[in-house]
Amino acid sequence: MIEVRNLTKNYGARRAIDSLDFSVNKGEVVGFLGPNGAGKSTTMKIITGFMAPTSGKALVAGYDVFENPLEVKRRIGYLPEHPPVYGDMFVKEYLEFVANLKGVEKSKISNLVKKAIEKTNLGQVQTRLIQNLSKGFRQRVGIAQALVSDPEVLILDEPTVGLDPKQVAEIRDLIKELRGHHTLILSTHILPEVEATCERIIIINQGKIVAQESLSNISSVNKGSRQITFKVRREIDALITRLSLMDGVLKCFKGNSPGSVVAEISGQDDMVELLAKEVIMSGAGLLEMQSMAQLEDVFIKLTYGSVEQ
Amino acid sequence: MLRGFFTIAKKDLRAFFFSPVFYIVAFLCSMMLSWVFPIQLAQFSEAAKNMMFQQGMPQQQLNIHYGLFLRQLSYLNLMLILIVPALTMRLISEEKKMHTFDLLLTSPVTSVQIVLGKFVAALGAVFGIVLIAYLYCAWTGFFAHFSWPLLNVAFLGLFLVGAVYAAMDLFCSALTESALGSFVMAVILNISIWFVGIGAEVSDSQTLREFFEHVSLNGHLSAFVEGTVRTSALVFLASVMGLFVFLAERVVEANRWR
Ligand SMILES: Nc1ncnc2c1ncn2[C@@H]1O[C@H](COP(=O)(O)OP(=O)(O)OP(=O)(O)O)[C@@H](O)[C@H]1O
Ligand SMILES: [Mg+2]
Repeated sequence: MIEVRNLTKNYGARRAIDSLDFSVNKGEVVGFLGPNGAGKSTTMKIITGFMAPTSGKALVAGYDVFENPLEVKRRIGYLPEHPPVYGDMFVKEYLEFVANLKGVEKSKISNLVKKAIEKTNLGQVQTRLIQNLSKGFRQRVGIAQALVSDPEVLILDEPTVGLDPKQVAEIRDLIKELRGHHTLILSTHILPEVEATCERIIIINQGKIVAQESLSNISSVNKGSRQITFKVRREIDALITRLSLMDGVLKCFKGNSPGSVVAEISGQDDMVELLAKEVIMSGAGLLEMQSMAQLEDVFIKLTYGSVEQ
Repeated sequence: MLRGFFTIAKKDLRAFFFSPVFYIVAFLCSMMLSWVFPIQLAQFSEAAKNMMFQQGMPQQQLNIHYGLFLRQLSYLNLMLILIVPALTMRLISEEKKMHTFDLLLTSPVTSVQIVLGKFVAALGAVFGIVLIAYLYCAWTGFFAHFSWPLLNVAFLGLFLVGAVYAAMDLFCSALTESALGSFVMAVILNISIWFVGIGAEVSDSQTLREFFEHVSLNGHLSAFVEGTVRTSALVFLASVMGLFVFLAERVVEANRWR
């Protein structure tokens, strides 16, 4: 659905993104992850046709963004970094304006506006002037604006920024709901958000893609090591010494909560099996065992770690 | 295809009539006219009375059209130099500053449609102001006889000059993110175009004079005020508008390539 080939963008002498290559399949939800200034917003601005790349190209639904901009823009709903709302318009009126602008069929407009208002929970403010709304509500109007034309592709730049925790949860639910119906790219630096909503992540740092994995495989990016957390009843210290002696266990230490032990292991599922056997045989009384996705760990290693190297 | 254009024109027209700026400008404009117009009217009726006694006054001064409306129009022209920038200053610069331009530029509309929609909205606002001034003159129709077509043509001329300012000032608005900066630029541009007419008076060479006369907005406006609609004037005014709308569109498009 979305294809990005060799995309480069320079702002004057500064290179914001550097030969990005990725593609997003129809119906997929992809998280765009990266520290501040990584180039997430820049990439999104190019895919939506807001900006021209310095070189390379982007295709949406088979149309080149710069050869067929109108075809592409018809299919995209875009929430920019700053919600693009007019302060002097009423919420509902604004959404109708956007629907018209996006070329939605006249007969469908009122229905789609109603749906967008429902999905983003704007019912209670729909007759108010946007300039009088709080930041979070404006952000939600921005999300509603992206949804209102029922586009095939949704590009959301930090959709939950400025929302309260309940709203964040609701927007995440909304995103999960959109999965399958829309192709979705969202950028964020909030890791739980990615874990909660995305099927695949693209981590970019300093304008380059450093990892591109489905969420279930992300730990394999972590240079072959993964962390397993156990919760046991008793004899923690003995267990730690015992596990530390095993081949393939890199590190073993106490976890944060009482009774928890963390083992960092190399290798794959076989190793996990062996480890589990060992814990049970130790008679420590296994209560819980968890293999962590370790997105945070991966993220920090891939982004900040690379600066140190 | 036209829908994007109409949507934007409608939105911006609505923004004009919802914004205090338009009403402040309209209010100030009618204040000025309410003050100046009765004075001129009194002066004119004085002159008309005198005419009864002094035969041989130039015919032109006896006519209300020349004696009153023409002067009125030259004031209005001066006022438009300031009014039009005040109306158009926010058209594009505000959209850039408030990031709403992101929405327009990522919607299935071309930059030509965006700029034309905004231009037409600005024409609507200019029309509103010119209409107020027109009503002052039309109101004398209750007690004076004059040629309506002549008055209408004169105001058409004024509106077209206002439209040229609107195109130039729209271009200024595209250049910056600051409404104030856009206003200042627009006023300077309007004044410099207005000054071009002076070139016609001071230049010696015949061709140069003709050139200045042709590009002087004032020259064209006085032709309209005299009741003549010349094709060359229409073509000239339309091409200046076209030029600046085109330049504004180029600036919008160029922003994508930074
Ligand atoms: N208009 C601009 N002119 C010059 N440089 C820019 C411009 N916009 C972005 N940059 C630079 O490009 C780089 C990438 O910026 P971008 O906004 O894409 O980052 P981001 O990943 O979205 O960051 P954030 O998480 O803070 O939103 C940054 O170094 C930034 O300074
Ligand atoms: Mg960003």
